Amino acid sequence: MEDIQEILEDFLVEAFELIEQLDQNLVELEGNPDDLELLNSIFRVAHTIKGSSSFLNFDILTGLTHHMEDVLNKARHGDLKLTPEVMDVVLESIDLMKSLLHAIRDSGNDTSAGIDIADICRRLDIISNGEPAAAAPVAVEEPAHESFVPSFEEDDNTDYSKLSDKEVEDEIERLLKMRKEEDRKRKETSNAAKAAAVPTPSFESLKDSEEEVAPKAAEPVAAKRATADAGANAPAKKESASAMEQTIRVEVKRLDHLMNLIGELVLGKNRLLKIYDDVEERYEGEKFLEELNQVVSSISLVTTDLQIAVMKTRMLPIAKVFNKFPRMVRDLSRELGKQIELEISGEETELDKSIVEEIGDPLVHIIRNSCDHGIEDGATRRAQGKSEMGLIQLKAYNEGNHIVIEITDDGKGLDPDLLRSKAVEKGMITEREADAMTDKEAFALIFRPSLSTAKVVTNVSGRGVGMDVVKTNIEKLNGIIDVDSEVGQGTVIKLKIPLTLAIIQALLVGAQEEYYAIPLASVLETVRIPLDEIYTIEGKNVLRLRDEVLSLVRLSDIFGVKQVYEGGEHTYVVVIGLAESKLGVVVDTLVGQEEIVIKSLGDYLQGIEGIAGATIRGDGRVTLIVDVAALMNLAKGITVDIRASAEAVVKTKTVPSDYIVLAVDDSAMDRNIMKKSMEPIGVKVLEASNGQEALNMLKSAEYSIDAVLIDIEMPRMDGYTLAGEIRKYSKYKNLPLIAVTSRTSKADRLRGVESGMSEYITKPYSPEYLESVVRKNIKL
Amino acid sequence: MSDKLNQILQKQQQQIDEPLKKEDDVIQLVGFIIGQEEYAVPILSIQEIIKPIEYTRVPSVPTYILGVFNLRGSVIPLIDLRSKFKMDPAKVTEDTRYIVMKGSDNTAGFVIDRLTEAIRIKSSRIGPPPETIHAEKGMVYGIGMRDDNILTILKVEQLLKRDF
Repeated sequence: MEDIQEILEDFLVEAFELIEQLDQNLVELEGNPDDLELLNSIFRVAHTIKGSSSFLNFDILTGLTHHMEDVLNKARHGDLKLTPEVMDVVLESIDLMKSLLHAIRDSGNDTSAGIDIADICRRLDIISNGEPAAAAPVAVEEPAHESFVPSFEEDDNTDYSKLSDKEVEDEIERLLKMRKEEDRKRKETSNAAKAAAVPTPSFESLKDSEEEVAPKAAEPVAAKRATADAGANAPAKKESASAMEQTIRVEVKRLDHLMNLIGELVLGKNRLLKIYDDVEERYEGEKFLEELNQVVSSISLVTTDLQIAVMKTRMLPIAKVFNKFPRMVRDLSRELGKQIELEISGEETELDKSIVEEIGDPLVHIIRNSCDHGIEDGATRRAQGKSEMGLIQLKAYNEGNHIVIEITDDGKGLDPDLLRSKAVEKGMITEREADAMTDKEAFALIFRPSLSTAKVVTNVSGRGVGMDVVKTNIEKLNGIIDVDSEVGQGTVIKLKIPLTLAIIQALLVGAQEEYYAIPLASVLETVRIPLDEIYTIEGKNVLRLRDEVLSLVRLSDIFGVKQVYEGGEHTYVVVIGLAESKLGVVVDTLVGQEEIVIKSLGDYLQGIEGIAGATIRGDGRVTLIVDVAALMNLAKGITVDIRASAEAVVKTKTVPSDYIVLAVDDSAMDRNIMKKSMEPIGVKVLEASNGQEALNMLKSAEYSIDAVLIDIEMPRMDGYTLAGEIRKYSKYKNLPLIAVTSRTSKADRLRGVESGMSEYITKPYSPEYLESVVRKNIKL
Repeated sequence: MSDKLNQILQKQQQQIDEPLKKEDDVIQLVGFIIGQEEYAVPILSIQEIIKPIEYTRVPSVPTYILGVFNLRGSVIPLIDLRSKFKMDPAKVTEDTRYIVMKGSDNTAGFVIDRLTEAIRIKSSRIGPPPETIHAEKGMVYGIGMRDDNILTILKVEQLLKRDF
């Protein structure tokens, strides 16, 4: 029973692959009706499907393929001309085959779906010669064989029933060998023939298909014969399988698991690198560092290689998606009465499986649009001096960590003025906005829902939904859309999509005390600008960047980050781009680029607006990953005047007694002296007896401390370390740290500066001097 | 002779049966304090108990969700039970712990003031929750009567349910 199940699964996988090929080959054949080799290969594919399905008792499918095969056979012998009308029927029957296969996949048989093939069979018969249908399928199978493998037919006559198991096995092996030999010969000759013939773009795929199809054709036949003597079946099948393919089918689930494990490993590697940096700082010049360095770099290298290798196992050629387009364009061109040619290149470019699955729909919509709105009808084209045949080019190529898919048509192009006026008419934008729009921005309007420039809604397109789908799907993949067009010349749409989704490069940014990761795929550039370059237009913050006007929003406003310190005169802007839009995000610090592993926040926290997930950084902390698409939406609702709020210095402290100075010294007497010295100012003085205690007080943020007096030599944590630790907090970046110490050497002073002290006072000091230094630092 | 043997066998059988019976109606809980009250959750729903570690704030969530923290490579939400029960916030002390609880499809950490002890309580001594407290959200499984005090037993599935 299980054997049958397995065979059925194999059959389905194979059949779906074969049908896809059929589709492609047939469309090609239409443009090239005299290519006998192509026709033969199509015939073989159809025949294989028929053979396997009759073996598995799928009578409806067998019947359908049988009728189709008849037509193809006629064409092969030159008795029938493959007109577009004939092709329509043949392609339609292939669609039916597909539905039947789907039914088989879902329910295990081809009868349950209730698909009626009588009508299409009749039409196929009319084409093949008008005779009413259906000799028994089995009877036709033999002549079909005969036509292209004559030697096979003789063997077929051998009386198998008289043979023993062993003999059957030998016989099968002999047949297989013979068959392979034939295939090889045929391939050689056909390759030679094809090389001489017109080289079509799909030469490669044709060759591939033949390699695959021919041996596979042998397989079901062998299996069929063998079932007469059950048991002999398995070994024969296995042998033929191992001889022809070097691949293993692996469940996607297993690959996903592997990918997760690699993710953990990458996190571990990041952590190791971070620890190494810390260790290097502390034990500079030590011998073991060299060894550690070697281990760390080799592990990090291997991890990266491993990651790439595993990622590659999930890669599929984009041909998987591209393959269905020739058929689609063909159907559309007939439906619309235009002549359109589709040129595909770069179909071998590989992409992560999950992306391949997502990219299909957007491409369908774009190509449909190009056919319907882009390419003009023949008469118009002729009038404009273009060739009557419209051309759509579908191109894929790699660019860094991205794959770019380019859809070019030579149609009428997009008219930015028409788009502007349409958008104003529909109330999507105001007249003023329309006037301020660049052409590029106007092109981007096509992605707004319910905007369509089509004068009539056809059943192909024009409802204004399609491009919205494109935008949503591409955004989901963190991709970028770029539209370029010239009236009368055509349109180019570029989709830029990251290669993989699980492990990504990210830009880490700081907003006040919090850190966020922005997918690098969406980062266009980062700039440092003075605050006074930010302008406000109608309540929106904007920045003029080169020839563009960019909306700005502060990351801390979007995520409600608590304001703990004020920025300087300058600020950083991260320009992010997604699909067709751009936004400037104002952040306080740029940390750098890092490879991060995307982790989900779990069910409990899923779907938080603006957050795509989380990652664990080298230091073990969790950093949230920004969802760029949602961020752009959130940004629309924020109306904080960045410049004004940055300039409005919040001065809550007015009288000296509001100010707090922290005195850190292990000697109570010294602390008293400090206290006494500051009495004249009238500030409040807190005390801590060592660095650890002081650090805890600062961390707890219970008091807002305005200055710290630090002794150097203290138990538990000395003054230098304390200063270093305090400076790690961005909110204490400008906190005055005053070293008060009896260490007077120049080296000590230097170390003080290095650790982040702002002043250095040596003991003994006069109370007045200390007083003046503190006054100066807290500006009193 | 055979009588004696039978007796011994019976006794053995009793010994085997009894503890099983006992375990059947005894529930094992872990008790902890939040504010002034003692609460408890079933021991089997607890994945682990850890000392406070650093967490990352998550934007646009209710205030009782403090953020997320890293538990050996998993990102886990951290919920402040004080704030969830509408009590005043308290500072982290030496006794503060995170209890990581695991439900059927969620895991989350909960901040508590301090642990008390592991508790065995007969199910007959657990009463239904009074209708006034927390009942509207169904977070209370029941009230456990003990010799010296009472326990509020929480429903873990409900605690782990997202309610915003």
